[in-house]
Amino acid sequence: MKVALMTEGTYPHQFGGVSVWCDQLVRGMPGHDFHVVALVATGAERPAWELPANVASLVGVPLWGAGPAGRRPGRTARRRFAPLLAELTGVLADGSAGAAGRFGEILRALFEYAQQECLTGAFGTDEAFELFTRLWCGSRADTGPVRPSLQDALTAMQLLEHSLRPLSHPPEYADVAHAVTNGLGVLPALTVKWRHGRPVIVTEHGIYLREQYLHARRGPYRWPVKALYLRFLHHLCALGYREAAVITPGNVYNTRWEQRLGASGAVIKTVYNGVDPQNFPAFEGEPDVPTISWVGRIDPIKDLETLIRAFALVHEAMPAARLRLFGSPPGGREGYLRQCKDLAAELGVGEVTGFEGRVENIRDAYEAGHVVVLSSLSEGFPYSVLEAMTCGRPCVATDVGGVTEAIADTGLVVPPRNPRAMAEACLRLLGDGELRRRLGSGARARALEYFTVDQAVETFDELYERIGSGLPLHYAEVAG
Amino acid sequence: MSAGTLSGLQQAAPPSGLPGHPAPADGITGLCEQFADVCRSAADALEIAAALEFDGLNDQAVKAKYGYADVFDLAEELHRRVPLDPAEPPAEPDPWRLGPGRPTLHGLLYSLPALFFPAAAGLLSGPASITVLLVSMLVSWSASQGLAYLGYVRLGRGDDAATKRTLRYGFAVAALGVAVALAVAGLVTGARTTALVFGLGQGLYLLGATVLMVLRAERLLLLVLAPGCLAGAGFLALGRPAGLAAAVGWVLVVTPLLGTALAFRLTRGGGGRPFVRTELAAAVPSAVFGLLAAALIAFPVVPSWGAGPGGVNTGALLAAVPLSLSMGAAEWTLFWYRRRSRRLLRSTGRLRVFGRRVRLVLLAALTQYLVATVLLIAAATALAWTSGLAGPDRGTAGQIGAYLALGGAMFLALLLQTMGSRIVPPAACAAAFAVELACRGFGVRAQLAAMAGLLLFLCVYALAVLGKASRHF
Repeated sequence: MKVALMTEGTYPHQFGGVSVWCDQLVRGMPGHDFHVVALVATGAERPAWELPANVASLVGVPLWGAGPAGRRPGRTARRRFAPLLAELTGVLADGSAGAAGRFGEILRALFEYAQQECLTGAFGTDEAFELFTRLWCGSRADTGPVRPSLQDALTAMQLLEHSLRPLSHPPEYADVAHAVTNGLGVLPALTVKWRHGRPVIVTEHGIYLREQYLHARRGPYRWPVKALYLRFLHHLCALGYREAAVITPGNVYNTRWEQRLGASGAVIKTVYNGVDPQNFPAFEGEPDVPTISWVGRIDPIKDLETLIRAFALVHEAMPAARLRLFGSPPGGREGYLRQCKDLAAELGVGEVTGFEGRVENIRDAYEAGHVVVLSSLSEGFPYSVLEAMTCGRPCVATDVGGVTEAIADTGLVVPPRNPRAMAEACLRLLGDGELRRRLGSGARARALEYFTVDQAVETFDELYERIGSGLPLHYAEVAG
Repeated sequence: MSAGTLSGLQQAAPPSGLPGHPAPADGITGLCEQFADVCRSAADALEIAAALEFDGLNDQAVKAKYGYADVFDLAEELHRRVPLDPAEPPAEPDPWRLGPGRPTLHGLLYSLPALFFPAAAGLLSGPASITVLLVSMLVSWSASQGLAYLGYVRLGRGDDAATKRTLRYGFAVAALGVAVALAVAGLVTGARTTALVFGLGQGLYLLGATVLMVLRAERLLLLVLAPGCLAGAGFLALGRPAGLAAAVGWVLVVTPLLGTALAFRLTRGGGGRPFVRTELAAAVPSAVFGLLAAALIAFPVVPSWGAGPGGVNTGALLAAVPLSLSMGAAEWTLFWYRRRSRRLLRSTGRLRVFGRRVRLVLLAALTQYLVATVLLIAAATALAWTSGLAGPDRGTAGQIGAYLALGGAMFLALLLQTMGSRIVPPAACAAAFAVELACRGFGVRAQLAAMAGLLLFLCVYALAVLGKASRHF
């Protein structure tokens, strides 16, 4: 079976949870051929993962840079583009319930255009800019709190043009198009559906649109650009949900957003991430000194400040306690590492807080603690928790994303940004060996039952077969 | 617009305080304050929902604390209560800010080499020498413009290693080209070796200066120019003693050698491919423009072109130095224009308003440049008269006028090129040069007419092209 796998900024060019998941999926199904379509930044990226033999092809679709080569559109092509641009602008200004349907139609029309003409060139003409400016800046002064400037119009058009570039690439031929993210990553999957009539599966580990909203708050754009682009993404994500034969969120918590955006509950099937139990056997003993261990990227979204503050409270009550942090900051985020070190020193726990950097074998990081802590502000279904559970280590984790679903009653879940609650949970576990053993073995049992990579792969194998042969997700639907 | 896209999802929210009415006293007032920044700048209610969740609120907490069904409903309520008043994002730094230092330095650097010519005049007599110098100037201006384009393209991608390698290879190839052209010219004209060496030195200096300028090391050029300039100035001040001419000639050689050495030193440690064919093709308009600019500037002093049978053309000599100084003013004015147009783009949403204002800015910029150049020429003329180098002359005025128009045209051509219009300006320059050449029998009047025509054409063209907002991104 041929599966087209669509990614954005992850597999196979970057490391991270989604890439691990893709690698597991592809390696787990040697019988299927995978055609990977990766949305990338410039096209100069090199694969960071070794591709197994069943990756039949890898196509990078650069969203930035000069754009796909193509002749600048002639007079007829420009005339054909004008109504499309006008409709797109109109849809993005339309607050009514009908806008969603119109968006699907105009996106498909833009796809048909992009397959024949140079869409990037069409966006780049003076006529296109004048039309867009007239429609967007000119007549709508009373509807937004800030009037867009010409600079805003140029920026907005550029964002739209770059985002629509996947429509210009030839649609992959495959039995199933599997987008491992919503948003822009769903565009190449939609082209497969539109051109070849093949079904689309949309998997979401985090919620794409929510992340874009959070991202936009710190972004460089003025309000009109931000609002226009978020509305574009909003429509695109809603379309992705509507067009998908199956939506497979990585946790139940995500389904709230999906349904809010119009996804039908009948096509949602939660598929949990899994780990390979062979790589994470149960630990025999515990460290000598009471230790809290943390594993991850040193990044503000992981909220290490709360963890360090919580540890300071733990240390006050249990002076022998230590904190060991395993992981490194991504390039450009070294300032945050410094901030964390400063905070630890300021709270008087600098000496007993170890910044250990990356470890060769991630298992050693879990083994280093009596308790494994997750302090994140946002997560999908974090591997660190699953792996710690598989090793039989009890977790203290913040109640974000799918964490509660993963841990259930085999660990302690605390509210995010709450050092005191986190400290109390850690102290409870550090001070009670019996509780640790009970929760630890419960966690391992739960992980082996629900969160193994084999189950995840098997589920997708079945989904591919089912959806690929045109069957609906549930038999009951057919009967009913 | 705000929550419009969620129109189908709003019905679940309980009634809330309307604008102008006091908000009901519940926990939400505090929440409104806590999330005021997010709410005031929110694109729609979902942005607030994302922020609430990010802060640790979930559906259970919302239900227990605030009595709403879920985070989304609470976000809708906050969106209704807090009026939109988006904060402006932090202003991006203006890439066109420029102090007076750099353009002044550049103006000096463009004109200081003029000091070399009087010092070397003894070595360069005869039409063969002038032909050799002209060939050197045409080839090296053309090559250095092309090289600068290639260097800036690589630099613009933030690829330092590739920039260095491009400049290094480009320098070597261009220097070879200059040498070959000079050898051919020498063979054809039978020019003296000293003239050939001077021509080669001029070419090497120009190419080295290009490398140093792209790498933003132009201060070093003052060092490079120092030996030649000091020798030339001293030679002039001492009244051109014939006995010192050979010694001064040797000192002049130091400058191109130093320039070459620095160019090679600063481009060590490069990497990547030096040239890509498409890039080379894209550099052609720049190279052609360099060639034509050199030809237009040299025209009045080349004997078989614009210079009369008398040979020396006083007006041309009087204007050439201030014209090269004025390129510093051109650079400053270009940055000024870009700053103003950038600001305009951000201050209006109407194309017609932008077009009208940006055209006025262009005319103001051209006026600024011309006024600065007139002042520079006036100063040079006054200096020449008072020092007795030249006297008032009717032909001089026409010649100066032609150079002034040429300066304005060069300014517009450069501006148009930085705004992406790279074909029309060189083409117009080529046409003007052809007219000058064809009408050389009419003397200064023809030059004046050709240059004024070029200035007028480029001005009209720039007003038409640069009035479009999309050009200013």
